[in-house]
Amino acid sequence: MSIFTFRGGIHPLKDRHEGKSETRDKPVKEFVAKTVCIPVDTHLGAPSVPVVKKGDRVLIGQVIAEAAGPRGIPVHASVSGTVTAVGKMQMMGKLPSPCIFIENDEQDEWVELTPLGDVEQAAAEKIIPAIQAAGICGMGGACFPTHAKMTLPEGQTVDTIILNGAECETFLTADYRLMVEQSQRVVDGLRAAMRAMKVSRGVIAIEDNKPEAITAMQQAAAGRTGVEVATLKTKYPQGGEKQLIEAITGKQVPSGGLPMHVQVVVLNVATAAAIADAVKEGKPLVSRITTVTGCVKKPSNLLLRIGTSVSDAVGACGGYSEEPGKIFFGGSMTGLCIPDDQVPMTKANNGIVVLNEKQGKSHVENPCIRCGRCVEACPTKLNPMELRNLLDTDKMEEAEKKNLTDCILCGSCSYVCPAKRWLVASFKEAKDLIAARRN
Amino acid sequence: MPIVYAILALGALGVVFGVVLSFADKMFAVPVDEKVALIREAVAGANCGACGFPGCDGFAEAVARGDAPVDGCTPGGAKTLTALAEIMGVEAEAGDPKVARVLCQGATGIAKERVTYDGFESCALANQLAGGPKMCQYACMGLGDCFDVCKFDAIRMVDTLAVIDEEKCTACGMCVKACPRGIIEMLPRKATVTVRCQNQASAKEARESCSKGCIACKRCEKACEFDAIHVNNGFAKIDPEKCTLCEACVAVCPCDCITVVAS
Repeated sequence: MSIFTFRGGIHPLKDRHEGKSETRDKPVKEFVAKTVCIPVDTHLGAPSVPVVKKGDRVLIGQVIAEAAGPRGIPVHASVSGTVTAVGKMQMMGKLPSPCIFIENDEQDEWVELTPLGDVEQAAAEKIIPAIQAAGICGMGGACFPTHAKMTLPEGQTVDTIILNGAECETFLTADYRLMVEQSQRVVDGLRAAMRAMKVSRGVIAIEDNKPEAITAMQQAAAGRTGVEVATLKTKYPQGGEKQLIEAITGKQVPSGGLPMHVQVVVLNVATAAAIADAVKEGKPLVSRITTVTGCVKKPSNLLLRIGTSVSDAVGACGGYSEEPGKIFFGGSMTGLCIPDDQVPMTKANNGIVVLNEKQGKSHVENPCIRCGRCVEACPTKLNPMELRNLLDTDKMEEAEKKNLTDCILCGSCSYVCPAKRWLVASFKEAKDLIAARRN
Repeated sequence: MPIVYAILALGALGVVFGVVLSFADKMFAVPVDEKVALIREAVAGANCGACGFPGCDGFAEAVARGDAPVDGCTPGGAKTLTALAEIMGVEAEAGDPKVARVLCQGATGIAKERVTYDGFESCALANQLAGGPKMCQYACMGLGDCFDVCKFDAIRMVDTLAVIDEEKCTACGMCVKACPRGIIEMLPRKATVTVRCQNQASAKEARESCSKGCIACKRCEKACEFDAIHVNNGFAKIDPEKCTLCEACVAVCPCDCITVVAS
C-alpha cells in the first residue's frame, strides 16, 4: 500500500504520541448538560435570526434561529426544554455573540423528523437542501456551511470528494473514535455527498498512526461504489485542506484558489456522519463528539450537545486536575484560547484542551539565528524567516509579493523555531491587514 | 620615454570621453522640475506616510506634478503649507492645527481585565480574540499598534494605555489609522476639553468594566449652556466648534471621563 504525504511539516509532541494517548482508547460517552447556550452566529456567513422567545418550550431538533442569506444555516435546539433567555455571550469573536439559552427538562423529546430514506435510494437533488435544513457546517474547525461548499458555481465540476480523517492536530481523538465506532455512518455520509454532487470517487484519508480506524473504514467501505481508503503519513499539518489534496491527488491548489479549482471537495469525517444522519433520519446537527483532555481528571471523548459550556464538559470528565492556565478550543496547534470556561461548544469544536499554568505560559521571543528550520517545516513552501523580517521592517507589500497570503496559519514554523519567534502570530496579523486593505 | 606614451594615450582617452560625455549631457538631458527640490526642503521630512505617497520624495514629486494637494503634509503644519503654496503659486489657508487624542483612560486598575493576555503584542490580533484583554470592548488595549507607527516619538504606553505627548504630535494621523478600535481621534488643538470615552455599551456594563467610562447619564448635556455636548450611541461627544471651554461639563461628570488638557 502506498502512503501519501506532502513536502514539509513537523511532528508535534512526538514523544507524547501527539498528546493523544490519554483519550485514544476511551469509547465515546454521551453527556447531556442541564442548561445549554446555543450561539447563532458561529458559522461563516450571515448570523441566523432567533425565532423563539423567553418562556417558549422547544423540542430537540426544533429550529430556534432561521437561516439568513444564501450561506446561512438554521440553528436547532439541542435539548428539549424551556428557553430561559435570548441574550448575548462573549464567545471567540470581537463582540458578544447572540445566543439562545435553554434549560433542559430531561424529557429528550424530538420534533417530528422527515427522513429522505436510504443514502443510495434518496433523491439526489434533495440531499443538499436536506443538509442545509439540518444546519450542517464544517465540523473540522472552520464551520463553513456545508451546503454552500457542495453547491458549485455554474460550469465548475468536481471529480473527487476527500473525507478528512487525518486528525493531525495534537491531543484530538474525536474523529478517530468516530471512525472506529461509527464507520458505517461516515461511509453513508460520503455516499450521500457523492450522489448529491454526482462524483464517482470518494477517498477517506487517514493517517497511518490510526491503524484501527483504517481497518474499520476499509471494512465499512467494502462493496460500496467508488469509496476507497487512503493511508497518509503521520505528519502535521497533514489534515490541512491543501496539504491533503496534494497528498492524495498530487495536484496543488493554485494560490488564492479553492479546492474545487482542482476538481476536489474536502469534507471532515464528522461532517460526513452528520450528513448521513440528515439524509437517513432527517436529524439536524445537535450534538458532536469532542475530546476533552489535558489537565482534567478523566480525559475522555464525549458526545456533547451543541451549546454545552466548557465547565459542564470538564465537570463530566471529573473536573480540573490542576489549576487551568489556558483552555483551548481545538488542539494546541491551531486551537483558540477561550476567555473563560462558560463559553459554549460550537458545531466546529472538536476538542477542549486544558493546559496548566506552566504549560500555558507564553514564550519570550529571541532574535532569529537563521537556522532555516522554519523553511524546512513550512508546508506551503514559504520562507517564514524572511517574511517575518519583512514585516518587522514595515515591508508589507514585499511580503505580499512573497505570497504571505498563502500561509495557512498552521503554526509549524513557530513550533520548530529554536528562538521561539512569534512567526505565525505576526503572519496572522499581516494577513488580516492585507485582507482589510483589499476589501 | 614610455611614460610619455602612457600620458599621451590617457590624455587622448580623456579628451574622447570628455567629448562623448558633454555630447550625451546635452542630448539625453532630463528636465528636472526645480520645484521638487524646493518642496522636498519644505516638507517635514519624516517619511511618515501620512500623505499616502511613498515617502517625502514621492509626495514632493506628486505636488510638483499637481497630483497632490499642497496641504497634504500634515506634520509640516502651517509653515510647510505656506511654503508649498508659495512654491506652487496657489492660495492656501492653514486650518486649525490638530492633535491626536486617545479617547480612553482605561489604564491598568481603571479598566477591568477580562483575561491576562500574554500573546503576540498586537492590538489588531488581541482585538479579534474573544473580545480583547479588557472587559470594555472600546478600551485601549495598550499593546502598542499606534506606538509602532508613530514616527515622531509622540506616543508612550503607560500602564496598558496609549498616552500621546501633544507637544510632539504632528497630527500625521498614522495612529488613527492603526488603532483597530478607532479610539484615537484627530481633534483641533485648541479644543482642550475632551470626552475620553467612546464605549457604546449600556450604563451597567460600562460601570462594571471601567471606573472612568461614560455611562451616558446626560448630566453634561444639561450643564452645557452652549449646546456643545451631546450623548449619542451611549457616550458623550463635544462639538469643538461650539465648545467655549467653560468646563461646566467637567465639573458635573460623575465618572471623570471629561478631561482638560493644560495648554
